[in-house]
Amino acid sequence: MNPDVIPSVPTLDDELFKTSLKVLRVTESVRELQTMMRDKSTSRSDFIFYADRLIRLVVEEGLNQLPYRECVITTPTGQTYNGLQYEKGNCGVSIMRSGEAMELGLRDCCRSIRLGKILITSDEDTHEAKSVYAKVPHDICHRKVLLMYPIMNTGNTVVKAVNVLQEHYVNEKNIILLNLFCTPQAVKQIQTKFPGLTIVTTEIHHVTPNHFGQKYFGTD
Amino acid sequence: MTDIVFKFSTNSSASDSGSGEDASSDRDASSPDNGIEAGLASPEIKSPVPKSPTKTSGGKKKGYASNPTKATRVVHTANRTLYTAGRPPWYDTHGQLKNAFVIGISGGSASGKTTVANKIIEALDVPWVSLLSMDSFYKVLNSEQHEQAARNEYNFDHPDAFDVPLLAATLQRLKEGKNVDVPVYNFNTHARDPHMKTLYGANVIVFEGIMSFTSKELLKLMDLKVFVDTDSDVRLARRLKRDITERGRDLEGVLKQYSTFVKPSFEHYIEPTMTAADIIVPRGGENDVAINLIVMHVHNQLLARGFKLRNKLANFEHKDEPMPDSLYVLVKTPQVHGIHTFIRNQETNRDEFIFYSKRLMHLLFEFAMSLLPFKSVTVETQPGIEYSGKRLSDIKMAGVSILRAGETMEQALREVIKDISIGKILIQTNLDTGEPELHYLRLPKDIRDYHIFLMDATVATGAAAMMAIRVLLDHDVPEENITLCSLLMAESGVHSVAYAFPKLKIVTTDVDKEVNEKFHILPGIGNYGDRFFGTDFTESQV
Repeated sequence: MNPDVIPSVPTLDDELFKTSLKVLRVTESVRELQTMMRDKSTSRSDFIFYADRLIRLVVEEGLNQLPYRECVITTPTGQTYNGLQYEKGNCGVSIMRSGEAMELGLRDCCRSIRLGKILITSDEDTHEAKSVYAKVPHDICHRKVLLMYPIMNTGNTVVKAVNVLQEHYVNEKNIILLNLFCTPQAVKQIQTKFPGLTIVTTEIHHVTPNHFGQKYFGTD
Repeated sequence: MTDIVFKFSTNSSASDSGSGEDASSDRDASSPDNGIEAGLASPEIKSPVPKSPTKTSGGKKKGYASNPTKATRVVHTANRTLYTAGRPPWYDTHGQLKNAFVIGISGGSASGKTTVANKIIEALDVPWVSLLSMDSFYKVLNSEQHEQAARNEYNFDHPDAFDVPLLAATLQRLKEGKNVDVPVYNFNTHARDPHMKTLYGANVIVFEGIMSFTSKELLKLMDLKVFVDTDSDVRLARRLKRDITERGRDLEGVLKQYSTFVKPSFEHYIEPTMTAADIIVPRGGENDVAINLIVMHVHNQLLARGFKLRNKLANFEHKDEPMPDSLYVLVKTPQVHGIHTFIRNQETNRDEFIFYSKRLMHLLFEFAMSLLPFKSVTVETQPGIEYSGKRLSDIKMAGVSILRAGETMEQALREVIKDISIGKILIQTNLDTGEPELHYLRLPKDIRDYHIFLMDATVATGAAAMMAIRVLLDHDVPEENITLCSLLMAESGVHSVAYAFPKLKIVTTDVDKEVNEKFHILPGIGNYGDRFFGTDFTESQV
């Protein structure tokens, strides 16, 4: 069932690495989604379709990181069922622009979840990431935050976004980063700077499909 | 898509007989001779006697294929009919086929075979009856024979005029409950039309034709053989009336044909086969007493063959057996467990019920997809940078939903598989017998080439799922190409389905222990369809 391990995956000897990095269980079916997104020849319509499927899986995995408690309910047949109940108090924050592509996937799973947005651009001269715009729920410091950004190369953008969240008093332990593709150095940077933050991704590879934003939104 | 609708009492029919009652021709006289098997003629002509075929007019669908249907079908106590509307199971608890009941009807030309067949079907009051006419199996003529036929010199009243091997193979398949493609014979071109007519597996098959008892091979397939014995004077009178007033032939020609051809043929080939008959019906279609006797006999035979599936399935003893290898259950993550909590809770309103169901279905189909065969591929991700990935093997996929609850899963399937074609099967439980019954079928064309995702929201005893699987198998879908997808199953259903169809994949999100006496899963989810569509009584205020 499990496809070949990609050689460039970093070694998981670091304790930190194990606890805060969640890589999606890559079945052959998931690998197909990744392949379709990486393949240059994939049509735009197919790209969006397969990207949405992969995003949905990442979102579901991200939601699994949220707190819950046990409960007992009664079914229509009058029997009891030992279930789980999710805790309230979550929100999503997308890093514009590509992160917005993941909002739909989140809304498909949590219909009325609050959504914040952060716009990060890189300075034309220094190439340094800087925050341009941020609008988040006012009580975000009391919430778990699902931070959405699909492709990470250096990790600088996400670092900047987390800084913005921290300015809103969000604890890094309450941040779950939803990501599709990232490089080992990005993982390393984030984990070094924010050891409490949880990363959910589908693949760690030296090369990431950087055409995501253009292809998804059609602005080639 | 082939659209086969089995309305409540619509008997499927592939008859193309030019019977006495069907004078009008709806066949295009100038239809081109491009039949599939045109040219593969069998040049066996025994009789050089000039003659026109006894069935000269073009074929027409039997009238009773579209007979006005009774709005509702109730349990027939007089005839001890248990069936109401749909097709009851035609296989045993192991999913194995039981043979259909085949009634063969023979008799001379214009003896009233079709009328008798009609009356039997009407009086049987059983759906899922197929009528097969021998006239569909006339041999394809080559050009020489075609000219002979045009000069009325080809012998259509001879046993060799029929393609008996094809007929026997067709009848055998029908008897096994499978669907068949019946040739459509064109009486103008003496070839088969390029399109075939599909006849579905039925519980009763009526087979009629003048020569139907002449082949031992065919006789072996018949469970009941009926010979319609009408006085030759009456038959001649009918022929005269039909051929002169309805087909515009002259008296002399008809009489000549009768005396030189039809009569000798009857005496030589047809009349002797009367000894093979179980029942001889004098006076044909007017003989209500004989027809009632036949109907009673068939009813008794059908009852004796009937299976009480659901109770048997529910009480199937598998208690200590481990779950079969063909069962794949979605990993119970906190989210999956939480979704189950929502949809199982009786307090959950319909809006949330639908929303969370759909989320679960999406995960279910992603999971089912991961069980398909994949192949390794290498793609270019950026100029000069290759990536070794996976691609789905070249298989065609289709969904088939079991109405009504299975239909709720179609949208989620479409979210996972782009442009998938979706077929539907309507199976309902007969409230009198508690048995599932097949009512409606609409499947993609060439379904045998597809990998099928068979969808039903819940599987309790597995009775409906097994019927749907049986339908797919009857359409030549290989068992290993079927994936049964459901949100919730009971252990008994898993065992029954896996036992009957071990090569089929069963994919679900949870398996519950028990099934109650109403065949509901415990602790279960309630009546899924009612909760999804809002047709239950408890939620009237929403």
